[in-house]
Amino acid sequence: KWKGEGTTPNLESIVIGRCYDYIRILNPAVGEKNCSEIWEAFKNAFVNKDPCSILPKDYELFINLSLHTIPPNKSLFWENNQLLVNSFAARGRRYMSVGDTLFGFFADFLNWCGQPNSTGLDYESCPTTEECENNAVESFWRMASSTYAQHSSGEIHVLLNGSAVGGAYPEPGFFADYEIPNLQKDKISQIVIWVVDDIKGPDIDSCGTHTVERLENRLKALGYDITCTDNYKSVMFLLCLD
Amino acid sequence: DKDCLKIWESLKDAFIYKDPCNITSEDYQPLMELASHPIPCNKSLFWSKTSDLAHRYTKSNQNFLTLEDTLLGYMADRVSWCGDPSAPGINYESCPKRSECESNPSSVFWKTASKMFAEAACGVVQVILNGSIEAGAFRSSSIFGSVEIFNLNPAKVSAVHVWLMHDIGGPRSESCSGHSIKRMKSILEERNIMITCEDNYRPVQLLQCVRNPDHIDCRLCTNTT
Repeated sequence: KWKGEGTTPNLESIVIGRCYDYIRILNPAVGEKNCSEIWEAFKNAFVNKDPCSILPKDYELFINLSLHTIPPNKSLFWENNQLLVNSFAARGRRYMSVGDTLFGFFADFLNWCGQPNSTGLDYESCPTTEECENNAVESFWRMASSTYAQHSSGEIHVLLNGSAVGGAYPEPGFFADYEIPNLQKDKISQIVIWVVDDIKGPDIDSCGTHTVERLENRLKALGYDITCTDNYKSVMFLLCLD
Repeated sequence: DKDCLKIWESLKDAFIYKDPCNITSEDYQPLMELASHPIPCNKSLFWSKTSDLAHRYTKSNQNFLTLEDTLLGYMADRVSWCGDPSAPGINYESCPKRSECESNPSSVFWKTASKMFAEAACGVVQVILNGSIEAGAFRSSSIFGSVEIFNLNPAKVSAVHVWLMHDIGGPRSESCSGHSIKRMKSILEERNIMITCEDNYRPVQLLQCVRNPDHIDCRLCTNTT
């Protein structure tokens, strides 16, 4: 029916399990959270509705229940390098990317959607973003990204892929459309940009050129203090592993 | 396909309502059978006193699997449990440490699971050892030195490749020519398993360099601009 994959099997068990994993083991500093309540709020955002009519604000209660402080200087934004970011962030120990927050960890790598006139999840297929923008997953990440940006502070880091087709700083993109607009200028001391090329990959973009230059100009115009580094060594080592 | 609820029940049955100082391998047999799965040859990665490094390596390089990357190890990692004869049968307050009693649910679990992980290994296996610790890289007091090495099956395992890592900027207490490695060599040779050893295997060292990018040992060979 839809072009995209269906809801991840055992979704409920997985996300509730992840919630407990997060609050008991990964990051107990976030304190007590009601994982069942969080699941209910998450589910109610998209069940029993047209799967093409889900908006970011439908996840508001979910966010309110799962939100926690993001330590200053630990935010790591990224584009086109999710696996690298996961390695580099070291599960929140070095940096805390959106996937290392409770609300991001909850849903990372999963898929879900509902259907009208039924409280069940659709395990057969789900709409892709090409089929309709206001789908459950897309709206979730728009909400999660905005929230993540809003609650970031101190030194902010952005890891971009200098070998990405179309440029390191994609527009439209999550960072451009949902994160930058939600950064709280008065809480941010500096924005540190890292542009890293794939090993043996093309050097399509670098600091001061093309899309990165656009990003740097945009941030400067907004009044941010920024730095930009090509092929930041620490990240390069991770790429060399393969 | 695995039945996760059944797997939980078999884990629970292994320790609930039992004296937490009297757990045996047999208690875990049903769990082991339900949760075990075959490991592809040449992918087993053992480790001793290098937990963080070994696990970061398998996260980045899907060609290797530690015990903690198997279903059984993944489920139990960083989690603790123990029972008590009185209701509710599970003790959420405290659990015996190894020094209090050896046959506690956690220690027995990991010993049993490690034995199975070693038995399942085939082809060439790898082990990351720590050459910066005083007690020696290969120790008989470790699970690797007392359980895993003795449960590798010579009919299936052709060789053990040792990657002996020094902390970046750390002491070089031992290297491949050291005493404990010699001892390990004789144990394996007696069991008809070949052994090779490499100091500071570069791909693993690169991981250490992520945190020490400017150290002299972390200079990149090629000069890229």
